[in-house]
Amino acid sequence: MDTTLTRDEGAQARPGFDAGGKYLTFALGNEEYGLPVLKVREIIKVMDITQVPQVPGHVRGVINLRGRVIPVIDLRLKFGFPGRENTDHTCIIVVDVAHLGMIGIVVDSVSEVLNVAGSDIDHAPDFGDRVSTDYILGLAKVKNTVKILLDLDRVLGAESPVPIDGF
Amino acid sequence: MAESQGWDRIAEALDRLAADLRAGARAIEPARTELFELAGAIEAGAGPSPIVDRMRVLASTLTRQNAEEVVGAVSALVRDRDKPATSDGNGPATPSDDVAAFALDLELGTMFVTDALDHLGTIESTILQLEAAPDDTKLLNDVFRPFHTVKGNAGVLGLMSIQEVAHKLETLLDLARSGKHALGPAEVDVVLKSVDLLTLMIRELPARAAGQVGTDVSRRRRELLEMVNALIAGGPAADAQPAAAAPHEAAAPAAAVRKERRDDAQSTVKVNTRKLDALLDMVGELVIAQSILAEDPVLVRSLDERLNDRLAQLKRITSELQRSAMAMRMVPIRQTFQKMARLVRDMGRQSDKPITLVLSGEDTELDRKVVEQLNDPLMHMIRNCIDHGIEPAAERKAAGKPITAEIRLSAHHQAGSIVVEVADDGAGLNTDKIRETALEHGILDADAQLSPSEIHQLIFQAGFSTADEVTEISGRGVGMDVVRRNVESLRGRIDIQTSPGRGTTFVVRLPLTLAIVDGLVLSVGAERFVIPTFAVRESLRPLPDQVHTLQGRPRMVRVRERLIPLLHLGSVFRISGAREQIAESTVVIVEDADRPVALVVDELLGKYEVVIKSLGDAFGSVRGVAGGAILGDGRIGLILDAGGLLSLVGTDALDPAA
Repeated sequence: MDTTLTRDEGAQARPGFDAGGKYLTFALGNEEYGLPVLKVREIIKVMDITQVPQVPGHVRGVINLRGRVIPVIDLRLKFGFPGRENTDHTCIIVVDVAHLGMIGIVVDSVSEVLNVAGSDIDHAPDFGDRVSTDYILGLAKVKNTVKILLDLDRVLGAESPVPIDGF
Repeated sequence: MAESQGWDRIAEALDRLAADLRAGARAIEPARTELFELAGAIEAGAGPSPIVDRMRVLASTLTRQNAEEVVGAVSALVRDRDKPATSDGNGPATPSDDVAAFALDLELGTMFVTDALDHLGTIESTILQLEAAPDDTKLLNDVFRPFHTVKGNAGVLGLMSIQEVAHKLETLLDLARSGKHALGPAEVDVVLKSVDLLTLMIRELPARAAGQVGTDVSRRRRELLEMVNALIAGGPAADAQPAAAAPHEAAAPAAAVRKERRDDAQSTVKVNTRKLDALLDMVGELVIAQSILAEDPVLVRSLDERLNDRLAQLKRITSELQRSAMAMRMVPIRQTFQKMARLVRDMGRQSDKPITLVLSGEDTELDRKVVEQLNDPLMHMIRNCIDHGIEPAAERKAAGKPITAEIRLSAHHQAGSIVVEVADDGAGLNTDKIRETALEHGILDADAQLSPSEIHQLIFQAGFSTADEVTEISGRGVGMDVVRRNVESLRGRIDIQTSPGRGTTFVVRLPLTLAIVDGLVLSVGAERFVIPTFAVRESLRPLPDQVHTLQGRPRMVRVRERLIPLLHLGSVFRISGAREQIAESTVVIVEDADRPVALVVDELLGKYEVVIKSLGDAFGSVRGVAGGAILGDGRIGLILDAGGLLSLVGTDALDPAA
């Protein structure tokens, strides 16, 4: 009974969200991010990207994923980091996003799949109005590092954040 | 009375179960078991009944979330057991439909709707063939069987009013099958009416299950059932009309109908189109992988005969596979044609113009999407034929023509496209009248000199309608301009041939598929683009004196005394590495709705057939881009859209050379 109650409280604090689970972690600059592994379809090496005109700067274009045309987003540019040349570690993570289908996101490098316990996850602190944290599922404390767990549907969906100042 | 006690016990047990579930005192699995046991108890006491079947269906849908509704629905079943359900139909006329089971198992419900509508479509097309060949027992069975299936499935879902209608029709057709009842126009009418009614009722099911109020069909339903009862009893149907239309003309269509049925028995499988598209994607990739392999320098240089044989074999297999995969998207145009048979029959009766519809080439196959979108334009053309083309019977008689008019609907392949023709033997287009109307509507200038065929083209202009009176069916507002737009949106073309007093033919030419387009591949910087060849007028390397500048920038190219705006793709699309000097570039003139634009590109790479892919929802719509195509090397080239490009003219406000 006790355990049930504890979980219920957690669920109330953040309705419809049970943060514990497996995350694919990757690097952008000096920061480590995590994506729920269930959203990840595959990881591919960066390939030729066909530019699409008249789209926001963080949209790199489209690629041919075994016969399917899928859009590719540069997460660096999306989050307001400076752009960077591709390296041997640059990857495209193909994810499945609600209402949009498959989307590729370019990241600096992919790290590992982590099993994060719900108790190790904090909510994003409130930074005031200037910094949106809606797209952050939570902050995972893993050893001495903090991984930023992303809510992909919000990052890439209609209600996606504007690039954040001071990141 | 022992039986009624049994029912009471069951009702009590259900009440207890409901209370327990509400209080959370009962787990789902045991509750489900109890429901099944209660169903078993009823069956043991009262014998098999629809109630028992439905209880089982409901019980199997039981979950924690819907527990109360399910048990409530079962209780209602037990409570209302004496209300007339179905079959004998002698009770009160309208059994109330319970959409609860439908709402509880939406998947099952949705399947029923798709399936039933399919069956009704079969009935509709088959009954018209049957009318032309009333002795064909196979056709009769083909009408009977779907009614039977709809009846059975509706019963399982507790859709009693639907079940009852289907059951009545089944009874009537069964009499016909056993030779006790002849099928005439009245029977065909009743079948068609019931198809309409059932289609309406079934279409509305999802909305009603979601709590919306549907159309009140109780009167229509009652009248229909009375008509069927009257027919079964051997009397005339309530509104049996003298057969104005087809029966005497039956010979011709019957022959046509007979020969086409030979391969009806081929078995088919329904496949989700997403799966099919995924397969096509993979086959496309296989073809690309194969051609990359075949062109690999190591292999090209190789003299190993065995290796070359094997590569050739691989190539044969992949191209055969591609052909088969493409063929899977193709469906015969038959179903669409047969829908027209219904339209002609109904309109002929309403307008008192006896008409036969002659179909040919129903087996011609084309892309499923094209077939679907061809429905509306065909319907408008046929309405147009009946309303405006075919003369009233008296006029035809006076002109020495057969009173029964003929509309011919045909399809055939021609040089990589499909040609669909709608021909009538009516009065032909009235050139003077069209001219007059066009003047009235301001479509035409009074001093314009047009040839008759140019005048005929005017009927495709928006806002044109020559019908003196607006009929209920061909109505106002939707005219031939919409037909032309529909056809053009399928990348097709429509033409008219007409001869006074002899009739009019609409000729529609369509591509076989919307999935593939013939395109010119262009390069700009490192990017490649595809422009559909149907939009391309010509390409040229302009001489310096052909290019005209505006405010110091090249803005126009003069081609045979025509000034065409230039659009520098590299600069509007901000492509790095594009050639800057127009003297080094190639110009491709493309056209949309007779407006040209000259695209400045680096080079033409050739003409290819490419598969059109959507860029996906993530982009919304990008002006000037219609989609993406996977090119021979596996990379993507964007497909350009001439209309969108035209709207971009002038947006490259900066110096194209900048």
